[in-house]
Amino acid sequence: MLQPHSLLWHYLWLGPQVLQAVLAAFLWRRGMHKLFPFFLAYLTFGAIEQFTLYGMDVLPSVSTEAFWRAFWAGAIIEGAIKFGVIGELFFHLLRSRPAIAKLGRRLISGAGAGLVLLAVAAAAYTPIVHRPLISISRAHILLQSSYVIDCGLALFLFLFAAHFKLIWNHRAFGIALGFGIVWCEHMAAWALSASGAWLDKSYLLDFLNMATQHVCVLIWCYFLLVPEKVATTSAVSLPENNLDIWNRELERLLQQ
Amino acid sequence: MSLAIVLVIAAVVALGTILRLALTQSLQVSRGSVGLAGSIRPIDIEAFRNLIDSAEDEYLRRRLPPTEFRAVRRTRLRAMAAYVQAVSENAAVLVRVGELALASGDPHIAEASQQLVNDALLLRRNATVALARIYIALAWPYSSFAAVRVVDRYERLSGSAMLLGRLQNPAAAVRLSAMR
Repeated sequence: MLQPHSLLWHYLWLGPQVLQAVLAAFLWRRGMHKLFPFFLAYLTFGAIEQFTLYGMDVLPSVSTEAFWRAFWAGAIIEGAIKFGVIGELFFHLLRSRPAIAKLGRRLISGAGAGLVLLAVAAAAYTPIVHRPLISISRAHILLQSSYVIDCGLALFLFLFAAHFKLIWNHRAFGIALGFGIVWCEHMAAWALSASGAWLDKSYLLDFLNMATQHVCVLIWCYFLLVPEKVATTSAVSLPENNLDIWNRELERLLQQ
Repeated sequence: MSLAIVLVIAAVVALGTILRLALTQSLQVSRGSVGLAGSIRPIDIEAFRNLIDSAEDEYLRRRLPPTEFRAVRRTRLRAMAAYVQAVSENAAVLVRVGELALASGDPHIAEASQQLVNDALLLRRNATVALARIYIALAWPYSSFAAVRVVDRYERLSGSAMLLGRLQNPAAAVRLSAMR
């Protein structure tokens, strides 16, 4: 079952991409491309990229070198789109909170710069394990670096929101949660791949990556297609006893 | 290989943190306003003002021997940290109160809520900076430290919270007006 080119392997590679393409079409029809243009670009490009790579993988006429070159090029474009998605999520988080927008932009820029340095340092210390076909190692290191940055930025988004007790928009929360899970898992998996660990059983990491991507797409489907439950907000008010305390404090200040 | 292990551990920690924060967020959203208001902690602003009064510090510095002054200063800084922490937590509660009230159809309540959220976020930001400075001052008790902005913001936040409370709970408004 857990073998390359098994039925499960074919399903896990293609299944999430089909779902991604269908989700992209639904979002486009609902006009959500105006709200999340980079996310929609990610869904569309990701599906096209993976269908192409799948075709190249199963066609015997395509060389290994050609496959990894296409993989490398796809990873670079996808990496750029992911940065756009992060910016989009951060924009949605700060859109109605001008009080911390400037601070937030400064902090995420600083975090991004720190993560880029960390990713470069990690790449410099990662050995080249596939000497005969160096493009494989390069692709693994590129993805390791990319996911170090993505995972760090996803963590930053959640920590920032939690620190300021910000309430996420339902859809943005779903997108961020899906990416948070998949980027953390991919960072670990590509770090292991790049280091040459489990070299003879590296397909297990492929299974893990594909299964996580599948879970992530299902999370997006849930948050983007199922309507949000309305929270009980009718009873929101400051309690009288607390207002009394606040008033007493204010009264004392006024009497100073 | 050791680098890969470090990155795997970092990824697991990051994933655990993200899942925990996501779960907390979901629970808070589904819970709505239940139990929110009760978590506001009262602050004695007069005592807080006394703690951050630089003249008081100067007086203690002149009166006490250096060793004793450092000990007293550290005790005051720890108390100040506790106050700032409480202010920061209250601000966090008010961010939630304001954000939940933002969905209100009443434009006056929505406006007051937006003001409350902005003030509370600014206060929380200032409180975070103030806490960092207090911890630095704990290591170096002779350094000057001002948390006046935190107190001022807190007072402004009180005003925003009262306005929202008055709009949402007109029964309290009469009493508030009478007090003023």
